[in-house]
Amino acid sequence: MSRDMPDRTAVLPPDGLLTIGDYPLRQADTEDLFYGNRLIYLGWDNHLMYCAPFCVPLPPDLPFGALVRDVLPDLYGDHPEFEQIDWQRVEWTSSNKKFKPDFGKSLDNHGLGHKSLIRFKTPALNGIKREVRAGRQAF
Amino acid sequence: MDAPVKKKKLGLKDRYAAMTRGLHWDTTYQPMDKVFPYDKYEGIKIHDWDKWEDPFRLTMDAYWKYQGEKDKKLYAVIDSFAQNNGQLGVSDARYINALKLFIQGVTPLEYYAHRGFQHVGRQFTGAGARVAAQMQAIDELRHFQTETHAISHYNKYFNGMHSANHWFDNMWYLSVPKSFFEDAFSGGPFEFLTAVSFSFEYVLTNLLFVPFMSGAAHNGDISTVTFGFSAQSDESRHMTLGIECIKFMLEQDPANVPIVQRWIDKWFWRGYRLLTLVAMMQDYMLPKRVMSWKQAWEMYAESNGGALFKDLARYGIREPKGWKDACEGKDHISHQAWATFYQYSHAAAFHTWIPSEDEMKWLSESYPDTFDRYYRSRFDHWSKEQKKEGRWFNQVLPMLCQVCTVPMMFTEPGDPTQIAYRESAYHGMKYHFCSSHCQEIFDYEPRKYVQAWLPVHQIYQGNCYPDDINPASPGDSPVREVLRFYGVNGGEDNGDFSTSQDKSNFSKWRGKEAPEGASDE
Repeated sequence: MSRDMPDRTAVLPPDGLLTIGDYPLRQADTEDLFYGNRLIYLGWDNHLMYCAPFCVPLPPDLPFGALVRDVLPDLYGDHPEFEQIDWQRVEWTSSNKKFKPDFGKSLDNHGLGHKSLIRFKTPALNGIKREVRAGRQAF
Repeated sequence: MDAPVKKKKLGLKDRYAAMTRGLHWDTTYQPMDKVFPYDKYEGIKIHDWDKWEDPFRLTMDAYWKYQGEKDKKLYAVIDSFAQNNGQLGVSDARYINALKLFIQGVTPLEYYAHRGFQHVGRQFTGAGARVAAQMQAIDELRHFQTETHAISHYNKYFNGMHSANHWFDNMWYLSVPKSFFEDAFSGGPFEFLTAVSFSFEYVLTNLLFVPFMSGAAHNGDISTVTFGFSAQSDESRHMTLGIECIKFMLEQDPANVPIVQRWIDKWFWRGYRLLTLVAMMQDYMLPKRVMSWKQAWEMYAESNGGALFKDLARYGIREPKGWKDACEGKDHISHQAWATFYQYSHAAAFHTWIPSEDEMKWLSESYPDTFDRYYRSRFDHWSKEQKKEGRWFNQVLPMLCQVCTVPMMFTEPGDPTQIAYRESAYHGMKYHFCSSHCQEIFDYEPRKYVQAWLPVHQIYQGNCYPDDINPASPGDSPVREVLRFYGVNGGEDNGDFSTSQDKSNFSKWRGKEAPEGASDE
């Protein structure tokens, strides 16, 4: 957090915070701090070799197709199932709502604002599974 | 000449009264509320501070004498440990990584606790509580010093300890303990005591202290064990302060009950998330295991903690909201955490490794319902990769929980194959959480948590680069530049144990091959 983070003192919704003095709103991660990019989080459902979803700064006008073509391989390319993904069948979700991306349109066109989470599910691929004595295992 | 006056010696009870309540006066030049602005605003009602009891009745004169003797003994052991090259007696050099985690993540908390108790020791109007908090403040400062001295001997021989204080303020995984304590001591004094004295020291401390100290004993680290013994009598005093404080608040006014309950819900969960690091240490970093995290959880949390909350039921207090999810997590969190540190090991300041065959067997036996089913395949895959293609590291930064600041690595309750996601919106921005409990903490006081210093976001904002780097274009290896800013020597302080200086040095010094389990995997 930069030391001179701006105070944003617009009217705030009520909260339970009790204080002995003024307590202005200081949001640490506003979009203007990321050099023209916005933060996008990406998570591949049921795939746990990557321990957590990713956080990447991306330009708002990045076409969704470029996200799939250029960005995702850098994030997930080491996973043995990545190459088998049929992108036409992938199910996409953001803020718990399903959406059908238009690969020619930008992140911004899709309403994927700063700090949006994009989850994707690959119905045929649910992590590497292998028969073991205790049943099936996945990652 | 006057006849000599025989000095009267006060009894224990009178001396305690004289040295606590006897030192207090009500102010007259300024109103009490102005001099003590913090002890009412949280809504806790205290009608009679004299009902505060300190069962130890420790006074400052006795404190000096007693602690001085203890510290003398401790330093004698530390000296002889150093003179006899005690570091060569540990089980194997992997053990040192548990100490690295301790000096990086736990020792700075002692200092934070010192600061917190100093504040509380100034702000309560009740003299008994003030004095107890002041003494704990000194304990915490002593612990910071004695731990630093005990572990500094290892710093002469091993990597990953040389800049622990700087790392605590900057490194991604150390934001977890740091944010826990900053949240606690930026709350009011009653919340601080509920957070640190009760939820942490009373309910959860056995899960922190026992694994580290018995881990040290099992792995031949006499220096750390001696520190543990020295701190133990202080810890029991701190636990007593924790339970005393809760009962005092609950007995003073029924209106205090819902406030205290909310704090217990919050601080149990924050403490539990912090203990993820201990769970990992216990199951993966001790070459000689003491007990599994699951066993420790069952003994210290489920059985002792369960009894505690039954006892507190008469005040109208129930078990913390996150209790059931925490109990489910006992089968999972250590494996999830080690998998995380394994893949981000190039960006941490300690070593990781694939468990040996024997250790995998132990994990499988200790976690019969989960290890083989959900976790073993990850380690098998990485182990194979390591032999074939070289050690795999995850090169992209993870998404973090806004509240606990842990990477979003925890799975959905009831479904260990899927990461848990929670999302809230506040003042035009989206916020993400690892669990319903972290989300609930945020939703109650969003203005507090929107300020969180999330290391991943800070890196992208350009606040974690050396001065000679342009944050808008940090070059072809941003991670390398961030490590340079952290003061971490890549490959020496971190990465895989099998190729570490620590490993080769230790074998050389001992004059023989490292014992089984420490070999290249």
